[in-house]
Amino acid sequence: MSHKTYVKKSGKRESEPFDRKKLHDSIVSTCLSTRSPMGVAQATASSVCEAVIIWLEPRTEVTTLDLRKKAAEQLAKQHPEAAYLYEQHKITI
Amino acid sequence: MGRKHGFDYDLIVIGSGTAGATSAAIAAKAGKSVAIVESGAFGGAAHHRNDVPTAALLYSAGLYDQSIQSGNIGLRTNSISYNYPALRAWQKTAIRRSGAANRSYYEGLGIDIISGLAHFLTPNEISVGYRHFSAKYFVVATGSNWRLPNVHGLSANGYQTPDTVIDGIRKSKHYLIIGGGETGVETAQILTSFGAKVTIAEAKSRLLPGYDPEAGQAIEKALSDKDVKVLADSRVLAIEGQDGSKRVLLARGGSKKHLMVDSIVVAAGCLPETDLGLDNAGVNYTKNGVKVNDYMQTNIRHIFAVGDVTGQHGLTHLGITEGRMAAHNIFNTNKIKVDHKSAPRIVLGYPNVAAAGLNESECRAKGLKIKKVVVGLSGAVRSSTANFSDGFVKLIADGNGRLVGATIVAPNAAEMIHELSLAITHQMSVTDLASSPRAFLSWSEAIGIAAQELTN
Repeated sequence: MSHKTYVKKSGKRESEPFDRKKLHDSIVSTCLSTRSPMGVAQATASSVCEAVIIWLEPRTEVTTLDLRKKAAEQLAKQHPEAAYLYEQHKITI
Repeated sequence: MGRKHGFDYDLIVIGSGTAGATSAAIAAKAGKSVAIVESGAFGGAAHHRNDVPTAALLYSAGLYDQSIQSGNIGLRTNSISYNYPALRAWQKTAIRRSGAANRSYYEGLGIDIISGLAHFLTPNEISVGYRHFSAKYFVVATGSNWRLPNVHGLSANGYQTPDTVIDGIRKSKHYLIIGGGETGVETAQILTSFGAKVTIAEAKSRLLPGYDPEAGQAIEKALSDKDVKVLADSRVLAIEGQDGSKRVLLARGGSKKHLMVDSIVVAAGCLPETDLGLDNAGVNYTKNGVKVNDYMQTNIRHIFAVGDVTGQHGLTHLGITEGRMAAHNIFNTNKIKVDHKSAPRIVLGYPNVAAAGLNESECRAKGLKIKKVVVGLSGAVRSSTANFSDGFVKLIADGNGRLVGATIVAPNAAEMIHELSLAITHQMSVTDLASSPRAFLSWSEAIGIAAQELTN
């Protein structure tokens, strides 16, 4: 990304710059939860991150909800089961 | 920038198209502090990409077609011709004249114009670039984008949309237009008039599926006369590149068929632009649009949506009406509703197609008992003096004799339809319509004849 996109947190938590690694790790762990092999999980996460970064390009500030929704949308194209789990994460725990 | 009630503005309008700009202007004239946020060219799609540029080219195409066919009305037109750069220049002139770049008008009303992509962060706050703006009310008027059909190889092999098609036009090039609705038909008329070979693939059983069948049939005949090939009931499945051309696989009536073309034009409708953080504001929406009530209000009381983003109609003139209504409903206690059902729908070209109210299948779906009449244009004397008689006027009345629907195919149908739209809005009877005199030698005489026949 040519500029920094900030992620606005809910409540009083400070906004922070978008962190690709955090998103990547969260997708990998979701894919692993659905018993995907590590290689598949990492490839899927990389592809989702690329798509999310393209979406972030014209945006300077988004929310965690935006990121979660966009990542789930991309994940659904490649791994619907993981996408469902990713979207429902906060409800299921 | 006025600060009231802790907000930066009374109203922020997201999108500077015809619908949004109307809301902004009305609010500003009422003394409210207003901002418009626009991420692209000021003026929106109707001015820059769709209605105005298409109508400008259709005007040229219509004049050209009529001129080359005017040998039998005493004109010599051997030398008439066109060139593509000049057509593009005319299109740009028309856009400029239409007032699309009239940003200074809105600034003159005291409206702040903010350039950038708006994104809701909370229900009352948006980010645009690195800046944040808050408002008491919002109007979402972000419009729509062309909908890409699910065709294998479409993106990989390249495609055009109706707004870019004139840039690549050249003689004898073969275009496949995916979609035989209003935009597909208008684009076909432009391309065929200026020397291209055109095939239209429409998934439904006829052109203009949203109109009465007679309209689709009349336009199919008019296009066939210009060598446009219409493939109804045809779904494009896949596209692959082959020696600089495109090989298209179509499913048609249970069988598969291949077609070689030079260029693909996607005219299969539009999808509302809803990617602006609406979840953060709690606004209900689907991929088919932002959900609004009759007052153009979303489920979040202070956020309204108007125009194509609601996915209700895709008509610019209704967008303007909605913009006006939304501005009224935001700042007034007497709420008003938008009447969608009698709004005219038009397809420009030669001839025009125009309709208002319900079509026959909609009447049937509503269980209405109807009476209808279809009168050919040859009944009007104008058809003799204007050397055109292929169109018609169709009127539909309910059991009480009130006009509920109308369709016209005629050279000036886009102007004629307003009389009928007004009659439908005010629930006039066909007897009222028949009793009104119409000028001798006007196309509108055909309306009088049709109304008279329906009263008999």
